[in-house]
Amino acid sequence: MIVRRGMAVALTVALLATGCAAQQKGATQQEGAAVPGVTGTTIKVGGVLTKTSASGYSTKDAEIGAKARFERANAEGGVHGRKIEFLGAEDDGQDAAKGDAAAKKLVQKDQVFALVPVHAPNFGGAAFLEQQGVPWFGWATGPQWCGTKTGFGYNGCLAPKQGAGSQTWWGRQMADLLGGAEGKSVYVQTSDSSGSKYGGTTISQSFTAAGFKLAGVNSGLPAAAPPPDWLPYVDKIMTSNGGKAPDVVVSVIAGTKFNVGLYSALKRAGYKGVLTDATSYDAAILKDPASAQALEGVIAAPMFEPFESTAPEIAQLKQDVEKVAPGTVLTQHLAIGYWAADIFLDMLDKTGKDLTREKFLATGNGSYTYENAGFGRIQYPKDHSEPNGCGALVKLENGAFQVAKSMKCFDNVPLK
Amino acid sequence: MILGYVLSGLVTGAIFAIMGSGLTLSYAATGVFNFAHGALGFLSALLFYELTTAAGLPAWLSALVSVGLFAPALGYVLHKAMFRGLAQAGETAQIVATIGLTIALPALGLLVVDLAGLPAADATALPRGVGPHPAVAFDVAGVHLDTDQLITFAFSVVAAVGLWAFMRHTPYGLRMRASVDRRRLATLRGIDADATSALAWMLGSGLAGLAGVLAVSVLGLDATAYTVLLFASATAAVFGRLRSIPWTFAAGLALGVVQNLVAGYTDFLEEVTGLRTAVPVILLFAGLVLLNRSRERVAGSAAEDTPPPDHLAGLPPWRRRLPWAVGLVLLVGFTFLAPEYYVGIAAQGLVLALIFCSFVVVTGIGGMVNLAQAAFASMAALTCGWAFTSGLPFFVAILLGVLAAAAVGMLVALPALRLGGRVLTLATLALALLADQVLFQVDAFSNGTIGWALPALGFGFADTSDPRVLVVVLLVLIGVVALLVRNLERSASGRAILAVRSAPAAATTSGLSAPRTKIMLFVLASAIAGLGGVLFAVAKGSITATDLPAFAGFVWLAIVVLQGVRRIGGAVLGGLIAVVVPELLSTWDVSAHVGAILFGLGGMILAKHPDGVLTQMAELRHRRPPAPELDEPARTAKGALFRMEGVVAGYADSIVLHGVDLAVKPGEVVALLGANGAGKSTTCAAAAGDLPIIAGRILLDGEDVTAWPAHRRARAGILLAPEGRGVFPGLTVEENLRTWLPDPGPVYDRLPHLGERRGVLAGALSGGEQQLLTLAPALVRPPRVLIADEPSLGLAPLVVRQIFEVFAELRARGVALLLVEEKATEALAIADRVAFMRLGRVTWTGPRSEVDSERLAAAYLGVR
Repeated sequence: MIVRRGMAVALTVALLATGCAAQQKGATQQEGAAVPGVTGTTIKVGGVLTKTSASGYSTKDAEIGAKARFERANAEGGVHGRKIEFLGAEDDGQDAAKGDAAAKKLVQKDQVFALVPVHAPNFGGAAFLEQQGVPWFGWATGPQWCGTKTGFGYNGCLAPKQGAGSQTWWGRQMADLLGGAEGKSVYVQTSDSSGSKYGGTTISQSFTAAGFKLAGVNSGLPAAAPPPDWLPYVDKIMTSNGGKAPDVVVSVIAGTKFNVGLYSALKRAGYKGVLTDATSYDAAILKDPASAQALEGVIAAPMFEPFESTAPEIAQLKQDVEKVAPGTVLTQHLAIGYWAADIFLDMLDKTGKDLTREKFLATGNGSYTYENAGFGRIQYPKDHSEPNGCGALVKLENGAFQVAKSMKCFDNVPLK
Repeated sequence: MILGYVLSGLVTGAIFAIMGSGLTLSYAATGVFNFAHGALGFLSALLFYELTTAAGLPAWLSALVSVGLFAPALGYVLHKAMFRGLAQAGETAQIVATIGLTIALPALGLLVVDLAGLPAADATALPRGVGPHPAVAFDVAGVHLDTDQLITFAFSVVAAVGLWAFMRHTPYGLRMRASVDRRRLATLRGIDADATSALAWMLGSGLAGLAGVLAVSVLGLDATAYTVLLFASATAAVFGRLRSIPWTFAAGLALGVVQNLVAGYTDFLEEVTGLRTAVPVILLFAGLVLLNRSRERVAGSAAEDTPPPDHLAGLPPWRRRLPWAVGLVLLVGFTFLAPEYYVGIAAQGLVLALIFCSFVVVTGIGGMVNLAQAAFASMAALTCGWAFTSGLPFFVAILLGVLAAAAVGMLVALPALRLGGRVLTLATLALALLADQVLFQVDAFSNGTIGWALPALGFGFADTSDPRVLVVVLLVLIGVVALLVRNLERSASGRAILAVRSAPAAATTSGLSAPRTKIMLFVLASAIAGLGGVLFAVAKGSITATDLPAFAGFVWLAIVVLQGVRRIGGAVLGGLIAVVVPELLSTWDVSAHVGAILFGLGGMILAKHPDGVLTQMAELRHRRPPAPELDEPARTAKGALFRMEGVVAGYADSIVLHGVDLAVKPGEVVALLGANGAGKSTTCAAAAGDLPIIAGRILLDGEDVTAWPAHRRARAGILLAPEGRGVFPGLTVEENLRTWLPDPGPVYDRLPHLGERRGVLAGALSGGEQQLLTLAPALVRPPRVLIADEPSLGLAPLVVRQIFEVFAELRARGVALLLVEEKATEALAIADRVAFMRLGRVTWTGPRSEVDSERLAAAYLGVR
């Protein structure tokens, strides 16, 4: 019995000890500041990223991006005299429940003012943050962002409801690149999950709005792991355009290894048309000869100004990143973290010296507009329910990425 | 085009086939269904990747090292550390331990890669395969294939042929098949079951490694993808009835083709999201229901899962409850003193604890292993969210959610009636995956990826948005469930449940309804899980289809079983641990991999202490001294070759032999006679080493062999022909003989009749032929001691005479014979000496000449 009681006591002591420690921490933070995370000289923020996941998908680079942007702000003296105290980002492991716990930890235990950057496809803390009125900034890929008052996607809500605006930039940029969409057909490949199917709908619409003919949408690919055999899918594509191959194939499947598999199989089957997707703009791909070969000629569609661009904003980004983490390879996730932080800083600036969460949200949700060549243009509250409609195209040519179309914004059309 | 689908489908199928055969092999040879089979493949693939990238070895050499050295070595280590112990543990412990490994092994690999600074395993990229990189494409009959696919197919053919040759034409293969066929008999024939198991694990692990390395160029280094691969391979194994490697192999190939055909020709199914992805899972379920009716146990009962001894039985009730009462008071104190964040964590732990209580009902009491509990929780939460959003009052929505979970539980329980043991477990696994992949993908039900928002539970004066209130609500609910469980155990229906669990047949004959009891348990457990699920959603404020993934259910089961699944205390402790450990790890900034590895270590502990941490603690502190040894036995006859002295032996909860003394000289037949239940067969088992003895000694030619395992005694010359027939029904006559003889030729000279039927499966022989086959090897290679347990049972008089002629010949050749018979006549005709047994003791021993009908009657009727 002594052992069991001993264990119970030990457990309790441990719990109490951690409890006391946190209470003390909490107490020191309360001093001199009624607003959580805000003192006369600092603003505390932290993020939630999918740093690790069972599937290997990782957005961890967003932490470096945000840090680089905050460091520059701090070097310039902060915002209204307050420097950003960036706690780094929690890992949600692509698990909704863990994301919720991470959000609670940041708000309740670490007492942050806002969550920047939030970049986790399965983020589960949305309901909590909305209920607590805590602002959060990041990449709004899921519907949990949309329609909130607190969730600010750096390029708007990418999961609009039916009837809300849906992007057309991808199709229109592609039409511009190919010299018009007249008579050209497009095939959209998604995987067998409701999220991917939804993506298929919005992207099909983007291309038809630009004048492309839709040759087919297929959502047969298994979502969890790539199919060991691509043949049935490739066959469908190769005969979709009245027995011929389509002019453009859009891949709405997550992950390089899916795309590498699909594109290799398509090329093996003799496909000569255009391949395009949203995820292939990734320098890591170039390291592996097989992946680089499979993706050669692919037109990737990033939703930010490509790093190869000559825009001064991009030169600034590179310089900022080089200061915090010399030698870092620039990635999509890094850019997202950077631009999310950039918008947060702008909103802080516009809120003014007298900072509370309510005032901050009032600024953000009161006809807020901010333009930047890095991500186009963002307007709140409009972009709480639709994407900002801006994007660029990048082509992989001879093993290197080249800007095919610079960042440009187009009008949205209502989602059918 | 269909030819193309079939051809390239075969390539995919080859991977399923290789992985599936490894699964079948290790299951059939050891009885442990290895959920970590996919993880073994992942580790081999990871090593292959690191060898090619970091060490710069050529691909073929890396593959050889990973598949030929590393994977078998890993299998051996796991056998030593874990699987060996698991084979004796209950089914729950087996499942949980291998699930622990599924999580721990990939984490261990990734941690090593991290710590050693090796190239990180990027699961989103595709590493190179064994062949040229990039793979070279070519056409076969109009089908586009590449070199990696060709290599995969070639290796699968090599693996199939090699496996066939190994199993059919080597002594190792024969031993393994003999062990698979009748494990106990195999040890009695001198086959070291432990060594055979080790070999099976090495081979199985090697096959997993081969499949892993071959698959890496299509799957990437993604542990989840390997688990998905495992499920598909399990389907193949199930179609091989978890016994037949050739059928598993064929089913694996077929599965690859079916997947291709489904992908190619079923566009009409596109509307139902996930249905086509779920084809292997649907086939898994169908295969389980149609093919795998459990032969040994019925309706999911786990008779071998006997409850652990209650180490605290001697303590007064208040003393037993004290630690829990203290814990409760401390928890409540903590709730009202600690900061909100930590109270939130405690609330989260209690939500899990409530869900975990359902395991106590279904597994702890009902003895069934359910892997679909996360699906029930999700089901209830989503139904509740849907109902509430549709405008129903919140409490009605909650009720509806719990009822929905209960209804699904009912649906699962219905097929469970037909299935037993592992088959039921696999069926719940299939259902869990099906729910995840198809049911929860229905947008109208789960509201897409956004899910449903739920309000806090209000009580007028307070609501659950305050974690303190939530903790109190949860404590009350858990208390109610605990009372329910207590009443269940003590009520008439509770006794019915326990009866069904430990002896289904007996329960049925006593008029208890096993199906009804099981359905009730399943439904109750599902309802509890559902309630937990609803509270999970309430605590979180929303629920989405991905909040409680199927895999979470596996992890939960493991956590509860680790603490002890028979008590609510284990569930509560499990829930708290499930939230406290990750919190501590993140506070101390320890890699998340470490948590996963700790979890796997838990599985290893479970292999040694299958009843969980709580029982282990109680045992450490309160173990009662073992039963006192019985008095020293008296010495018997001199010059005996085989001797048992004061042997005490029995089974888990009852002692059968209370000090047996027996001696047999070379060239002597001792007949051991006694009424049914006297302990004769137990004596045989103890003599042959099939049953460990508690006290006494067993001597062979003066050497103490008490500690020797059965196979070693058999090799030393003690041969037991067990009750019933001592043949391997699944092996041919020839193979049966080869288990004891290097060359069966002389047997055919003596018994030409067997020679004619050498290619026939022993199971197809008549009873008399089987008994002759049992004893025939002894004629060619006589043992030193032959123990025959009821050799004449159920045989025609003519055959019985033939059998006893064999005994006479063996006696003439100097074998010491111990004949055990219930019917005395034939045995007495041949016996030199006679021993009578009654109630676990030898009551009389003497020469045959002193036995008359009076003494016989006395011995059988128990009057001296």
